[in-house]
Amino acid sequence: MFDLDWIRKLIELIEESDLDTLEVSRFGTRIVLSKSPPVSARLSFADGGANPATAVDGARAEARAGVGVEDVSTAADEPSEELLEIHSPMVGTFYRAQAPDAPSYVEVGDQVKVGQTLCILEAMKLMNELESEVTGVVREIPVQNADPVEYGQVLFRIAEDEAG
Amino acid sequence: MFEKILIANRGEVALRVIRACRELGVRTVAVYSEADRDSLHVRFSDEDVCIGPPPARDSYLNIPRILAAAEITGADATHPGYGFLAENAEFAEICERSGLVFIGPTADQIRKMGNKSEARRTMAAAGVPIVPGSDGPVDDEDEAVEEARRIGFPVIIKASSGGGGKGMRLGEDEEGLRRAFVMARNEAKAAFDDPTVYVEKYISRPRHVEIQVMGDKHGNIVHLGERDCSIQRRHQKLIEESPSPALDAELRGEMGHAAVQAGASIGYSNAGTVEFLLDEDRNFFFMEMNTRIQVEHPVTEAVTAMDLVKEQIRVAAGEELTLREPPALRGHAIECRINAEDPENGFRPSPGTITAFHAPGGPGVRIDTHVYAGYHVPPYYDSLIAKLIVRANDRPEALSRAYHALEEFIVEGIHTTIPFLQTVLSHPDFEAGNVDTHFIERL
Repeated sequence: MFDLDWIRKLIELIEESDLDTLEVSRFGTRIVLSKSPPVSARLSFADGGANPATAVDGARAEARAGVGVEDVSTAADEPSEELLEIHSPMVGTFYRAQAPDAPSYVEVGDQVKVGQTLCILEAMKLMNELESEVTGVVREIPVQNADPVEYGQVLFRIAEDEAG
Repeated sequence: MFEKILIANRGEVALRVIRACRELGVRTVAVYSEADRDSLHVRFSDEDVCIGPPPARDSYLNIPRILAAAEITGADATHPGYGFLAENAEFAEICERSGLVFIGPTADQIRKMGNKSEARRTMAAAGVPIVPGSDGPVDDEDEAVEEARRIGFPVIIKASSGGGGKGMRLGEDEEGLRRAFVMARNEAKAAFDDPTVYVEKYISRPRHVEIQVMGDKHGNIVHLGERDCSIQRRHQKLIEESPSPALDAELRGEMGHAAVQAGASIGYSNAGTVEFLLDEDRNFFFMEMNTRIQVEHPVTEAVTAMDLVKEQIRVAAGEELTLREPPALRGHAIECRINAEDPENGFRPSPGTITAFHAPGGPGVRIDTHVYAGYHVPPYYDSLIAKLIVRANDRPEALSRAYHALEEFIVEGIHTTIPFLQTVLSHPDFEAGNVDTHFIERL
């Protein structure tokens, strides 16, 4: 699990070395540390459970020290929007498409409907289709194809359509 | 040796398994429910996977999710701890079929000993003394009464699929038995989804003395001495000790031999405990066999200087038993289970946040716990928060050490059974080693 002390250690590591960029990820939470000045010092955790407030304060403090922390999952300049998080209902492997050569079920920016298949979650050779519970636009997909995912992990962030 | 073990459990036993794995150089995977996000076993394992919401059936009892967690982390073995899926034959079998080594006996062995009335039959056939009782299940009241007349009142009606003290009713005479029989079947159906019951002679002031056994996959099996677990409240053990004040070398040899026979009769491998009732005339009777590592295993570790969990892992990995002969029991050990319960209010569970926590220490004092100051004890699981195990040169020193360690043990923010344990430890009958399984009731 990532916590502030751990992030500080990563920052020390990159500062003391000749590295320009250091990227660490696990279970969909990805941190990228870069010595080039960041576009924005916003940091978000892609696991849906952590409170990002203290992490953002820490990130701002470190940004002043000349090291930036960048969120890779979305464009940094988005206006904040209330997004519905789709959490994984099971433990398994996340696949964007039905087969390795097939097109992804959904892409960022796609409009989706209730009941539409968003992805496959595979465990023990059984493929489970995850269906959307809402109608809206896919804004973020904080996991990568073939990532292992745990119960509760955020898989999609959707901007729900206003009720018609 | 395994590369990576997934611990299919939580709390103090998960931490126990992680410690054994560390010493063996094996990597660990913790699985946890959302209620256990800040639990120590999650923090100290090498990897962790959230497997569900708090309720046990959606997390720690959820076989597909646990297997999926093993799959995505590449674990090659799993340790089930105690409770949860530890004695679930279906889980052991699915692991076997999926190529995930189950650190414990085979599914078949679990099944054989899991059905209590079948276990009695197996033991009787192996020449292990059993409590006089019905040969298999009893189907109706009349049959129960017939059996009771043969065995002699009072009798106890037990659920075949029960265990751990659940699903039992007393029949003191014919009328009482008829009433109790119907209720027992209904309770068994509700609790274990199986109404079959059997009848046993009720032994009035028994001691509960169990023998630790360990078998390997090469047909070797050994016993590691006894634990006296007579101090129980509603059939849940509170204090365990070794050696038992009621055993001398001769009786230990007989009971140890019987336990080994019991295990050998089913080719038992890995850790197991054969529970006996010991009556006041030094007769012992097989009660049940637990096909898992038990909560009180540290008591045996203290008097034999063995690491039972490491041994479980080694044996599961195919190694031969470390010991072939029963070890000598050295010194005296006592374990006290500390539960998050309020002894002044019917032992009502006391979940909540622990605001201060100081564990005792010093020579011969061991604490197995997963809690710490700031930890929130969740309401979803059993109430055990810590085990205190003391070891000393003799029983009086062990009693004194245990009592004083409990005095030094500070847990604030929740109620615990620490004061109650001190009352038991300082009771003259307990000090004299003169107890039976009804001791707590009589307090």
